[in-house]
Order: sequence, then C-alpha cells, then structure tokens
Amino acid sequence: MGSHRFAFRAMAAENEIQVQGVDAATARRAADLAIAEVARIEAKYSRYRSDSVVSTINARAGGEPVAIDAETASLLAYAAACHRQSGGLFDATSGVLRHAWRFDQARVPSPAELDAVTRLIGWQRVELDGAAVRLALAGMELDFGGFGKEYAVDRAALVLREAGCESALVNLAGDLSILGPQPDGTPWQVGIRHPRREATLLATLPVASGAIATSGDYERFVEVDGVRHCHVLDPRSGCSARGFQSVTVHAGSCLVAGSATTIAMLKGRDAGLVWLRDLGLPHLCVVDDGSVVDAFSVFQP
Amino acid sequence: MRLLACVALVLAAGCAPVAPYQRGYLARPDMAFEHSAGTAKALEKTFPAKEAASGGASVGGGGCGCN
Amino acid sequence: MHAALALPILVVPPRAGAAELGEVGVAVFGYKERGLMKVTEPIVWGKGRIGEDWEVAASAAVDIVTGASPQLVSNRTGTPVQTITGASIDDRRNTWDAKVSRRFGEGTVSVSRTVSREEDYISHAFGVEARYDLNQRNTTLVAGFGRSNDRVRSSDDPLLDQGRRTREYLVGVTQVISQLAAVQSTLTATRGEGYYNDPYKITFTFFPPGQGLPLLTADKRPSRRDTLAWLTRYRQHFPTAGGTLQADYRFYRDDWGVRAHTLESAWQHSFGDRWSIRPALRYYTQAAADFYSPTVSRPEPAAHSSDQRLAAFGGLSPSLKLIARFEGGTTVEATAGYMHNSRSLSAGGGSPSFETLRAYYGIVSIAHEF
Repeated sequence: MGSHRFAFRAMAAENEIQVQGVDAATARRAADLAIAEVARIEAKYSRYRSDSVVSTINARAGGEPVAIDAETASLLAYAAACHRQSGGLFDATSGVLRHAWRFDQARVPSPAELDAVTRLIGWQRVELDGAAVRLALAGMELDFGGFGKEYAVDRAALVLREAGCESALVNLAGDLSILGPQPDGTPWQVGIRHPRREATLLATLPVASGAIATSGDYERFVEVDGVRHCHVLDPRSGCSARGFQSVTVHAGSCLVAGSATTIAMLKGRDAGLVWLRDLGLPHLCVVDDGSVVDAFSVFQP
Repeated sequence: MRLLACVALVLAAGCAPVAPYQRGYLARPDMAFEHSAGTAKALEKTFPAKEAASGGASVGGGGCGCN
Repeated sequence: MHAALALPILVVPPRAGAAELGEVGVAVFGYKERGLMKVTEPIVWGKGRIGEDWEVAASAAVDIVTGASPQLVSNRTGTPVQTITGASIDDRRNTWDAKVSRRFGEGTVSVSRTVSREEDYISHAFGVEARYDLNQRNTTLVAGFGRSNDRVRSSDDPLLDQGRRTREYLVGVTQVISQLAAVQSTLTATRGEGYYNDPYKITFTFFPPGQGLPLLTADKRPSRRDTLAWLTRYRQHFPTAGGTLQADYRFYRDDWGVRAHTLESAWQHSFGDRWSIRPALRYYTQAAADFYSPTVSRPEPAAHSSDQRLAAFGGLSPSLKLIARFEGGTTVEATAGYMHNSRSLSAGGGSPSFETLRAYYGIVSIAHEF
C-alpha cells in the first residue's frame, strides 16, 4: 500500500496519475491502462496528427460527409449542446483562428486577417447526424482543443476506476479528476496556480472527489501595448476573451468543469460571474483587476 | 483583561486575512493548538500533580486528589 | 451540458472535504518516579458528529497508583527531608467526562460534565463554552464558565468529609496570522473556597535543644484560592524545512503567593505523509506560596504547608513523540518524557529543602477516524 505516482508526457504537456490504497502492481497496471487511453484519445482527435479523425474530417471540409463512430458522434453532440447553452460562445469550429493568432509573435492580427478567418467559423455550418459529419465550407476546421483534454481526463478516470482504484487522481496539465478521497479519508489538496505570479499558488482547494478544471489568460498569450490577448478567443469576433485572469470550476466531470471555465471566460467578467452562479457549481475566479471571487465553499453540496 | 484586548487588536491589525480556500497549511494536524485526544488526556494531570500552577486552556475539568 | 452524461466517462459527485464523522481511541499512560510512585492509566475516548450541527465526545480513564508518596517532612536530622510513612499506597481514580456541542451558524456552544472518583476524593464539574468565528474564521472568540464541587475525605481519618467549590471563567481569542501561522491566547480566572488542606501531609519540626518540644503540625491552607492563568500558544509551519514550530507560554499567579511561568517549545517534523517526530522541551519555574515552609515556627502561623509542590523550584521536561498516520484513518502516537524538578532550575531562588524529583513517563495512543 502507499502512494504511487506516475508521470507521463501527452498532449504536449507534463501529466501525472496518482494512486493510493492499492499495491504497487495494481497501481502500475491501472496507470498503464489510463495512460494508454489518453494516448488513444490524443491519436484519434488531435488536429496535429494527419491521421486523426479530426484531421480526416477537416481535410474533407466542403466535400463529402465523413462516417463517424459512436464516440465521435457523442463528443460532437456534446459540443453542440455547449454551443447552445453558451449562446454561441463555445464553438468547436473556432480552431481556424490559429492561422490569425500566433502567440509566438507579439502582434495582434489586423481586422482583415481576422475577417478572412471568422467567415470560416460557425457551428451552424456543421452538418451532423448520428452517423456522419460534414463541414459546409472548405477551409473550416473542427478543433477538439477546447474539450479533448477534459474528455481524456474523464476517460482515464473511468479506466482507473474499472481497474480497481478508488483513491486516485488524474492530472493532465492542471485539469484533473479525483475518484475519491485519500485512503485515510482526508481530501486531496489541489493547488491552483496564481495567474500572475510564477511558481506561486493562488489557492489550495480541499477536494474529496470530482473534477477541477482551470482556464486562464496566462497559459498562452501576447501582450501588445500593455494589453493582454490570450488563447481563449471569441468565435464571433476573433478577439481575445476579457474580464478574467483565471476561472476554476469543480464539477462531476472534467468535461463539464472545463467547458464551464471556457464559457465563463468568453462571457466576460459580469456576465460570466452571473452565469457561473446560476450554474450552481463551486467556482473560484480571479477577475481582471486581480481580486478573487470565492464561490468554492458556498456551493458545496 | 485590557492587556489581552490590546494583544488581540495588535495581532489582528498585522494580519492578512486568509481565505477559506487558502487554509491548506493551517489544517495540518501539527498546526492544532491541542495535543490529540489520547495524549492530551494522559498529560492532563501529569504536570499539575507536581506543580502549583494549573489550568489555562479550558474550564470544567474538575479536580483530583493530586493537587 | 447534461449531454456529458451520455458519454462513457466517469462522473463523480463533486465533494470538497471528506465527511469526518468521528473518532475513537485508546491510550495507555505510564509514569514512574525514581524510587517513589508509579501510575498506570488506560484511557478510552470517542467523539462523533450527529447531523450537521451536533457533536458529542466522551472519555474515561482509570488511574492506577501504586508505590509510595512522601507524606511527612521532618527536620530531625537537622535539615528538612521528606519521609515516606505508612504502607505503600494502592489507589484507583476513575474519571469520565462527556461533552455535547451544537453549531449555530458562526457560533458553537458546548456543555461538558466531568466526574472523578477516588476513595478519598470526589470531584463533579460542569462547564459551558461559547465560540464565535469572525472574519471568515480568521478570528475565533471563546468564553467559558465552569463550576466544580469537590469532596475531600481521608483514608486515615474517617471523620474527615469536607467540600470545596470552584468557579472558573475563561476568555480567549484565536487569530490566524498568515497561511502558515496562527496564535491563540486564553485568560482563565478561578475563584475557589472550601477545604484545601492535604489530609495526608504532616510537618514534624524539631527545635534546637532547650527551645521546646517538637511540633507535629497538619497541613493547613487558606480556605480560599483565587488564581489567574494566561496561556498563549503559537504555531508556525515552515514548508521548506518540512516542519512546524509549536511554542506555548503560560503565566500563572494566585493569591497564595505562587507565581509560575511555563514555557514549552517543540518542533514537529514530517517525513513524508506517514511519519512525524516531535522533540519538545518544557521549562517550568515557580515561586513559593506565602505559607510554604519545610519547618514550622513558633507561634504557629494561621496557614502552613510543607508540601513541596508549593515550594520554589524549577523543572525541565524534555519529551519525544513519534506519530504514524496510516491509510484507513488510524493514527498511532508514542511519547516518552522525562521530568526533572529541582531548586537549582528555579528562575528566582529555589527553596533550600526542595528534594529533586526525577520521573519518566510514556504514552502510547491509537486513534481511528471514520
């Protein structure tokens, strides 16, 4: 018995799985299965792999529909539901903005550059039935980047549970799912990064179970003329989300938690805080002026 | 009494309030003010039985034939 | 987002803290004085949460005292010495206590009852305490009141049956200083009246030749006692060093003339998640009660005691505690300590006839949280 930690690299980041309460052999086996599951999802849905399902769908944009399996169909249905729930802010076709925004260069794209790209965005142009999907315009791209990692977290958690773990944690670069409290009953202490200070924690949240996801304006950004533009981009305008430095949500699944943080950031400060409150999930936010909105303990069941 | 109130105010003035989600360290068992139940009960009368001073932490503990 | 439920993923109800329902435990305490008495004490305790707002706790202990205890102070040899008289003792003290607490929003009220029974001493005590959290629980205020009724008898004197009543008042504040440090300060005042004499202590005073017959006097203390104790505790964690500093200071005074200072510092060091070790050092110094003296003068004073627990002395007590926290919520603690009281350790002057006390103690405790 004891604590077993497995670090691994996937989705261009450092990740880890922690398992407690089982012997080393069981923990190793469970972690290997979970890591393999994450690799499978990355291979299937990464837009950076030419043989992935997403790349195949994108290659046939404007052309013939692509047959999809049940897993892909469910994920696309989820993306559709989020699009509706967020009033169009959550849009899995907004990936084409990567052609306009280069976060390795300190410049803001011009309105012309943005227009060229935003005309290819719009979930309403995705033709989806249960068995096939088609992107209406050539050049459109599906991007699972907004929820693929969160889905991988939840799938890895399920694999760990099925392999016999009850006290375990899956952490993919800060998005995590916790199966149950540590064997002695105490909750896990989840550290939330400070959005402005390096190597400093903003908060330590006691979590006994559930998923935690965080979105922030510090993950990928450029600062031009003192204004920060981050990687969370509004699909309607192509411009950076404003109003929050970071949003953290605690939900039953990482998929729901991650989508909630993305939608909150896109809604902006005032609408986002109202929306999070109405959602009824525990959340912790740092707004643009640096002040903290703590609704973490209040909403615990 | 006034000394205690002054001490309390001085301490409060110099403190940065810690939010509920930042209490990770404060929740550690070694940050508790009392010993754990078994050890505390065992030590309750050990020192007062040999010394004239007693008390300071709680009320209602009663006496023993030892002091 | 309910569409997420259609996906083959793990959905766990999100919970923050774990629900700690309660704890049960047993402990054994052993104490041995060099050449004198020995105490063995098994202890059991438990506490539990009932619903959202209630908590109950109870404990029981049996003190088994064997060996000898000095009862007579005699200066027949020229200097006063403690002497053991009579057969060795074999005494039992049963104590039990119970406490009920209820939470009202930011406040908590607790009521407790303690009963302690020995063949020659019975104590019934009751306490009530109110706590109030302010400032997002950064500040906690506490106020308490306690009452104790004791009954003193003597196995040597069947006619002795006296009472003693004590009232206790407490106020305190706990303040969080930072994410890593907190301090607590409590002031307790007690007022008592009744029988304070120790029925077993006798003083045998011999006078130089020609100055009269020796005096055999019983312990005679005032019938009132007012005390004040001010206890301040500080805790600070050092994450880089992997340990926590614990420091306690208590100031005590009473109207018998006793003034005492107690200082204890400890460092609790963690090795990983399971093991911790806590070396500690306690220093105590006491000024004698006004009526303390190992001999009696003529004319006999109104109050007199040769009980060296009222003398001027100092004490050092180092201790070491080892703690192990296991999966499943079980914690095992083992403590070993040494007490050394002598007149030379006193901060002021020590009483000349104080006999050095050397004692060892050990505690093993096993607790299980559920």
